[in-house]
Amino acid sequence: MISILGTDRPGIVATVSRILLENRCNIEDVSQTILQTEFTGIFIASIPEQLQPENLLTGLQRGLEPFGLHVLVKPLETTGKPPVPSASEPFVVTTVGPDRLGLVAGITEVIARFGGNITNLRAAFRGGDDPKRNTMIYEVDTPVDIDHKAFRQALRERAAALELDLSLQHRDIFEAIHRV
Amino acid sequence: MLSDREVLSTLEMLKDEHLDVRTVTLGISLLDCASHDEDRFREQIHAKISGLARDLVRICDDVGDKYGIPVVNKRIAVSPIAVAGAPFSSGQLVNIAHTLDMSAKDVSVDFIGGFSALVEKGFTKSDLALIEAIPEALSKTERVCASVNVASTRAGINMDAVYLMGRAMKAAADRTAQSDGLACAKLCVFANIPQDIPFMAGAYLGVGEPGAVINVGVSGPGVVRRAIDRARDADPTLALGQLAEIIKRTAFKVTRVGELIGREVAALLDVPFGVADLSLAPTPNVGDSVGEIFQSLGLASIGVPGSTAVLALLNDAVKKGGAFASSSVGGLSGAFIPVSEDINISEAARRGFLSLEKLEAMTSVCSVGLDMVALPGNTSAETLAAIIADEVAIGVINRKTTAARLIPVPGKKAGEKAYFGGLLGEATIISVQTRGGSENFVRLGGRIPAPVQSLVN
Repeated sequence: MISILGTDRPGIVATVSRILLENRCNIEDVSQTILQTEFTGIFIASIPEQLQPENLLTGLQRGLEPFGLHVLVKPLETTGKPPVPSASEPFVVTTVGPDRLGLVAGITEVIARFGGNITNLRAAFRGGDDPKRNTMIYEVDTPVDIDHKAFRQALRERAAALELDLSLQHRDIFEAIHRV
Repeated sequence: MLSDREVLSTLEMLKDEHLDVRTVTLGISLLDCASHDEDRFREQIHAKISGLARDLVRICDDVGDKYGIPVVNKRIAVSPIAVAGAPFSSGQLVNIAHTLDMSAKDVSVDFIGGFSALVEKGFTKSDLALIEAIPEALSKTERVCASVNVASTRAGINMDAVYLMGRAMKAAADRTAQSDGLACAKLCVFANIPQDIPFMAGAYLGVGEPGAVINVGVSGPGVVRRAIDRARDADPTLALGQLAEIIKRTAFKVTRVGELIGREVAALLDVPFGVADLSLAPTPNVGDSVGEIFQSLGLASIGVPGSTAVLALLNDAVKKGGAFASSSVGGLSGAFIPVSEDINISEAARRGFLSLEKLEAMTSVCSVGLDMVALPGNTSAETLAAIIADEVAIGVINRKTTAARLIPVPGKKAGEKAYFGGLLGEATIISVQTRGGSENFVRLGGRIPAPVQSLVN
């Protein structure tokens, strides 16, 4: 697995993929995201047997560090069998309220306590003219046997303590409304 | 991954625009409860309703919580009592209405519909008994709703039934004079009544329907209004064709919500899902009004010239969006214009923009009819019958549902206010152009034959 982190600019993915090609590495999966000005990319690539990860890292650093980009190369841990995902249901937690210290920590602590796995988290809106309208969206897979009433109650209590307006909704409602 | 817009616009629809599921209505057939013995019949309908609907409210609330969409009303519609209770006299039918009322109370639903008769082509003995029972049944019960279908495109108009219903309305109003004739708010007279309406007061379970079924009524006038406002703010040059498209897309979204919730409630209750009825049904809350949509589309008020055209556009766009969203669209599906239940329409009546005649014209293109219209208390049974006849004629000729829910408010005159409370709202009484001019026509009785439109086979 190769991680790239740094200030966004044109040509980052092109440079990484060129270096991987030069080292005869095959990209098997890739994802990138940009948060404000910062780029991060994760590449999963198979590398030739004779190529040592350290040598690949050196090659990538030589190509990318002039652009101020940081590189991490790490062998993927494989157990032989793909992990079996536990049965879960997708929910969406949305919070609206003033930005404050401990907001994400407070909400995610409750999600973790109930065994929820956050599959996506983002700040959807940073308040604009009204800093009290800061909006966070957490997509969460919850175990099927979760106590929904208790989960909802715990989230609501935490949200109230953080002065947030919180919604917890099954993901299907968003798909039903917006997708054909 | 969901997009930010998908999440945020859904939240906006819920929190600021009053998107909700207006009603989940459990239809229950009572035909297998039939008995010649009144006590036995009442016992059996109570047992059947409380058995099937025991978990209705809890399940609706749980499903509403899961999706974050409130299910505002949970209701029950039963087989027409004139059919299920065919052997009984009007006095016995009043007792049966009490049992329905108690059953509704026991399972915590606010209305139970189906104190009904279908008489478009003629009466059975029990139809006449039920119509006779209506004034007492509605004045002595709290949650029972009645409907009578007096006309259809296939059968024509049963004018004897129309006259009887004019008299029933008058009697029901007089029996509830202390509450401005409230019993009439629970009574609808129909042409072409659908068998699967989830909305009250017209809901009943048709005889062609399953033994039990979930029908869902979704609303959302506030959502439609805001969608129009947002689009016009972003682009003031939008023309009506483009605005109709926006209404259609919004109707699609709202219908999908109803179907999702309805199917899940039906699955949990282990009964089939019937239909989603997308009707823009207002409540007396600001921002939950059909009348406001007229203003968003450029009219000073509902009722001014142009209103019928706007309503035609609105009703059609809502139907098109609903039809694309679900293959199980039914009920009334369109736009309601209930005067007292919509703060904006009620205000239009108060300010004189909305006359009975303009309302009647608009019902030729809306999804129901003259709905929650408060009339002067001295309006005669014959005049009420003539208004009903006009209204059902529109439905019969246009092959659509029309209905009249009229309240002749005892002791009050045009311009005064009638107060019904809660979702039923309040309304200024509007005048009726009457100088005793309809009596002779109404008393002719008989049946206005089915129109040529009925010859479709």
